[in-house]
Formats: sequence, C-alpha cells, structure tokens
Amino acid sequence: MAVPAVSAPLLELRDVARTYRVGAGLFAKKRVLTAVAGVSLQVGRGEVLGLVGESGCGKSTLARIILGLEAPSAGEVFLDGRPIGSIGRLERGRLVQPIFQDPYSSLNPRRQIASIVGLPLDVHGIGTAGERRDAVAEMLALVGLAPHHATSFPAQLSGRQRQRVAIARALVLRPALVVCDEPTSALDVSVQSQILNLLMDLRERLGLAYLFISHNLAVVHMLAARAAAMYLGRVVEQGEAQRVLTAPRHPYTAALLASVLTPDASLGLPQMRLGTVFPNPLALPTGCSFHPRCPLALERCSVERPPLRQVDGDGLVACHLAQ
Amino acid sequence: MSEIALELRRLTVDIPTDAGMLHAVRGVSLTARRGETLCVVGESGCGKSLTTLAVMGLLPEGAKRGAERMELAGENLLKASPSRLRALRGDRMAMIFQDPMTCLNPSLTIGDQMTETFLHHGKGRRRAALDRAVALLERVGIAGAAGRIGQYPHQLSGGLRQRVVIAMALMCEPDVLLADEPTTALDATVQLGILQLLAALQREMHMALVLVTHDLGIVARIADRVAVMYAGEVVEEGAVRAVFDTPRHPYTRGLMQCIPQPGITAPGTRLGTIPGLVPYLVGEVAGCAFRGRCPHAMPACALPVPVREDAAHAWRCLL
Repeated sequence: MAVPAVSAPLLELRDVARTYRVGAGLFAKKRVLTAVAGVSLQVGRGEVLGLVGESGCGKSTLARIILGLEAPSAGEVFLDGRPIGSIGRLERGRLVQPIFQDPYSSLNPRRQIASIVGLPLDVHGIGTAGERRDAVAEMLALVGLAPHHATSFPAQLSGRQRQRVAIARALVLRPALVVCDEPTSALDVSVQSQILNLLMDLRERLGLAYLFISHNLAVVHMLAARAAAMYLGRVVEQGEAQRVLTAPRHPYTAALLASVLTPDASLGLPQMRLGTVFPNPLALPTGCSFHPRCPLALERCSVERPPLRQVDGDGLVACHLAQ
Repeated sequence: MSEIALELRRLTVDIPTDAGMLHAVRGVSLTARRGETLCVVGESGCGKSLTTLAVMGLLPEGAKRGAERMELAGENLLKASPSRLRALRGDRMAMIFQDPMTCLNPSLTIGDQMTETFLHHGKGRRRAALDRAVALLERVGIAGAAGRIGQYPHQLSGGLRQRVVIAMALMCEPDVLLADEPTTALDATVQLGILQLLAALQREMHMALVLVTHDLGIVARIADRVAVMYAGEVVEEGAVRAVFDTPRHPYTRGLMQCIPQPGITAPGTRLGTIPGLVPYLVGEVAGCAFRGRCPHAMPACALPVPVREDAAHAWRCLL
C-alpha cells in the first residue's frame, strides 16, 4: 500500500456529530436524538484505539460513520488524510473493514466459506480466479482455519470458526484499519481468548490498526495503546490506555472499571454508588450528562457542561472534579 | 449446615436427534441450601440451562429426563403430577431468564403480571397482591413503584425490566430462585446493580439462589458454592474459595487462564486458550469428556473417571 506523502493519521474525526429525527408518536412532533455529539479522535497507522462505553453511548454509530455506512450530521472524517466523502466505496473498502459482534448474523448462510472470504476480491476485481483462490486459502490459514473449511457453509462451523471467517473476510483486502465492534461479546470465554490472541497476532504480522469497540474494559486493555470512554454521545475521557483503563479519572470510566468482575473469590461484589436512572437520549440532562448518576456530582455539574480538557500529558478528561 | 432447598442426584437429560440420542446432561448432582448461592458455570452447550429447566419441569418437548432423586424442600419432584408442578412453579420455585422479555407479556401491565402468580397460588386477594407488588418493586430499586404498576414492559429499560422480573419471581417467596444468565444481556454497570440486588434478596429471604452463568468473574464474587459443568457433567464442585484458589480440574484451570484482568494481565500478552472443540454428545460417551482437549490426558482417561475430593471440594479427574 502506498504511503501518503504527509504523515496524516490513518483516521481522524473532527467534531463528529450524528443526530436522528425520531417520531415520538403518530401525531407528535419529530424530536432530535443525538447519538454522537462532537467527537474528535485519531488513530495512527498500526495503532490500536480502544473505545469503551455502554449501550446507547454512540460507539456503534461512530463505527458506522467511520465505515462510511452513515454520514455524520456535522464534523469531518478523514481517512488517510482525505475526507471520507471524497473516497469511493471500493477504495474505502481497501482502507477500512469491519468485524461485527455476531458471527451468526454477519455471514451469508447460503455461501461457502471460500466464497464469503473471497467476495471482497471479486467485488474489487483483484487477481485472476486462481490468484483469488490462493489469497483465500492463505487468509484461511492465517486466521487458523483448515483448508477443508473453504467448502463448508456457516451453519457447519462453530461460533469461534465463524468469527475467524469474519476476520478473514475483513482482512482479505489488506485494509489499514479494522473497526472491531464488540468482536468477542457473543463468544464463550475460552473462545474469546482465542479470538483476542488472533487479533493481537494479526496486528503484529500485518501492521493493522484497530478501532476496538467494547463495553468490556478488561478486553480492551489487552489490545489498546490508547483508549477513549464514551457516555451519551461524548468522549468523557481519553488517553494512554493503561492509565485510562486502570487508573481512570472520570467517575464514569471509574464505574466501568469497578464493574469489571475479576475472578477473585476473596473479593465480594464491588460496591458502586451509581444511580440507575438512565437519561432519556431525547432529553439529555443539562450540564454534564453523567451528573444524574454520578456519586460525586456537585451543583455546578448540573448547570455547566465540563469541557474535555487536558489534565496531564496526553490525557483528556471531561469532568469538573478532575485534577 | 442449613436446610437443603433443592437436591439433584444423577440427573440426565437426553434429546432425540436425527443422528441419535444426544446426552445433553449426564448424571448431574447438585445441592442448593437455603441462604446459599450456588453458581453453575460453564460454556455454551454444557447443559447448565437444561439442568435448571429440568428442575422446573420446563424441558423442551421430546427431551427425556431421568434422575435418582430430585427434591424441592423435601418434596419429590420426580413423582409430582403436572398440576402439582404447576402449583410449585412460581410459588416454591421460580425462575428468571437472560432476556426479561421472555418472562414478560408485552400486552399486560406490570401490575397485572406481578399479581397473576400471587392470585393464582391463592396467596391473597387482589388488594394484598398489589400492595406486595408495589413493595417488591420498591425493594428492587424501582423509583415511583406505585406509578409503575400501570405501565407496560416496553416503557421500561432493559435493567428495569430485569428488576421487574426479579420482583415478580419473588411474589410468593420461593424456596429456590433459579436464575439463568440473568445479567448477560445487560451493561456492566447495570449488571453489577442486579447482582447486588440478587445477593441481598437471597440473604433477606433466606432462599437458595441457583445462578447459571458463563462468567467466572460473577461466580467468584457472588457464589457460596460453585459447580463447573463441561459436556453435560459437573467436573468440579465445592466451596467457591476452594475452587478458585486451588482449581483441580484441568478444564476449570484452563477457563481461568482465558480471562483478561486489567492491572493483572499485562497488555499484549497472549491469553490462555483451550484448544479443540467440545465433544460430540450423541451416542455412547465414555470416560472423561475433556480428555480430547486436556494437556494431561492419558490412556486411563478413557475409562470411567473417579470423583476425588478434599475437605472443601470435589473434582472428576484422575490427577
């Protein structure tokens, strides 16, 4: 792959927002739902950025925007230094590819594995039929599938094998960036560990960059060099992964860390004083969106939204209380 | 030692398939005591869910159940008639599932659904049922419970729905609450709230909580006793500290090495794996079912495996 003249980051988001107009009822006025509100992130070549957050925080919407499946309502997305809108569908496919959560619904049940993995090559018209066959065989070997799997159908494979097929399909065009959206959440623990190991191996061998999205902080910390936490459409903390994921400074990231249950039988259930009142995304709280659930909230937090500000070196935190 | 709420001895569940009989649960013995949390842990297809469904008498059609003993607070469930089982379900034993919507009727209000079992089991009149429903909703942390009972399930978030289902299961103060992956569909912070609630209710009501999960982290933090299942069998069982501090079965040890832990597992290091696939349980299954994936397998593993034990736990392995 050609190296661009200027060393622009592989992926850059500048103040990306995405809103939807949703109907509240048959005759009710349409209302605006803000899924992503002003997110700025960068992923360098060969880098892994972990993105953590819970359902409804906008992380999957962000993934769809980066994959070009959805256009942002505001802000700019640059892939390889160029605006994503100026990159054609086929070329975009060679820069960025997805791996989704559910290996059961993301594979066409009527196609053989070789055909699923080779489809991107066919679409892009890369190589002769023989070369494509070889490329598919090489890819299957790379993700640890046996040659005979090429003629299997998805229904004949286990969950772990299907997720390997999904990874092979994502990598067959040798993209620079892979958007992994909860790639191990639907898998058993013994399968999850294999897939995580495989993703780590492939990154080293192919020099891939990942945007690794998960609600599971423990999984993200295995791969990510840098990490960002999202809450209700905004990045609330960002920085070096080890610090964000093991010594977080935003109360929300801290709550996420506290809710990771490590298999230590000498510890009981952690105490977490986190409110269970979930904000309505159609009527976001004033001030800091986390304040209704935050155990440390001050009066100021319900009035004034904390900006994402630098607290040390590379670390950014959106909290009035962060030092 | 406290009172036994649920006792299973050599439970089997066989499912006829086109290829032959699938031995999904193969001789599972479990004991759950009042005031105790028993976790049944294992991966997909290990038979953990079928075990709880067999207790409830809710196995899928065609599945065959066998057992030497199956007792709920001293009552023999093997001899219970379908009408007796109906009387016990929701009253002496209750169950909650992963997806709260499998337990909730989308077209009935929360109040109607919560009072249904209470009224069905003749625990009191409608007024008393509604009062109990409101009290329980408040107990499970639903603010404005009196207003909520007129609402429909779709008006609640996933976490609140699971709280409603828990409250509903507790309407008649069961001896045993079976919970099958009750937090798997929930966000991590919501999961923790539900687990704290289940642990507190189990203590307050002095019931036996049987929690089925694939998550060893949950087990470590909530269980008093744990049973690790693999391929339809309990391979290791005992007090939670004994099983986690000195796991004896290679499968239990393998599982524990698969889990990433922030601050403990160094980033970028490879996690442990369990190579190979779960064995095929159709037809005769002999010897240790894990031997095909076990790093310590030896010829004797193909023979029936003795159960070994120490003071705090038991395991099914030659080692």
